[in-house]
Amino acid sequence: MNERIVVVEVSGLEALHLAGLVGQFRDLLRETRRADDPAVARLTPDAYPDDDAANREFHRLTSEDMLTRRAEDADTVLRTLGMDGADLDPGSDPDETIAVALGENEAHAWLRTLSAVRLVLATRLGIQTEDDHRPGDPRFGVYDWVGYRLDGLVAALER
Amino acid sequence: MAGLAIPDLDIDQLTDAETAPPVGWQTVVWNDPVNLMSYVVHVFRTYFGFEPDVAHRLMLAVHHDGHAVVSRGPREVMEAHTQAMHEFGLWATVRQDAP
Repeated sequence: MNERIVVVEVSGLEALHLAGLVGQFRDLLRETRRADDPAVARLTPDAYPDDDAANREFHRLTSEDMLTRRAEDADTVLRTLGMDGADLDPGSDPDETIAVALGENEAHAWLRTLSAVRLVLATRLGIQTEDDHRPGDPRFGVYDWVGYRLDGLVAALER
Repeated sequence: MAGLAIPDLDIDQLTDAETAPPVGWQTVVWNDPVNLMSYVVHVFRTYFGFEPDVAHRLMLAVHHDGHAVVSRGPREVMEAHTQAMHEFGLWATVRQDAP
């Protein structure tokens, strides 16, 4: 049986920005990983908000593994982008389209990573409701762009 | 999730999980302002194997009612589902069935 392949097309400039964001995200998970960081807390939510003991046990059993797997997902995104530790070729055209072919497992690593990057950005931007949006703030542009890419990848997988 | 105009739905009639006799515990998914509707539907479809219309109605129940019960069963299974939802970035909790 052939594995299903999804192709994501990004410009060289987009790929560079995406790699920068995902690289920062991976650093947050692998190097910083402060449990008191609200963004890290949002990635490992409470399963038992009304039961402290059960909640602590759930976190003890799951949180480390979950953050490790997220960092591995980020590794997958950077590897498939061809930008894990590599610099963009200075002679390349930033407007040139790069086609990234993803198997299903890789595509799901992308989905989880893009949605997690949005959660981190939303925490940093203080987004509390769907109406929290400042059109003049370029960071919201990044947040929306990641959402646009996530939505496109979901649509490609649903086809 | 971003808004859409839709009719009210009876979430008690959504899925087998909803109508099956309670086995004690529930996995509940809560609304948040970040996750995209299309993504939540995709997660419900691929992880739980729900039909597209069921996944869509559950997503709308989360959006409009603030939360939805997506599974019922033994506590360990509900914890595993909750962890899986967290891995996808959804906000899920475990709770006991109402007596």
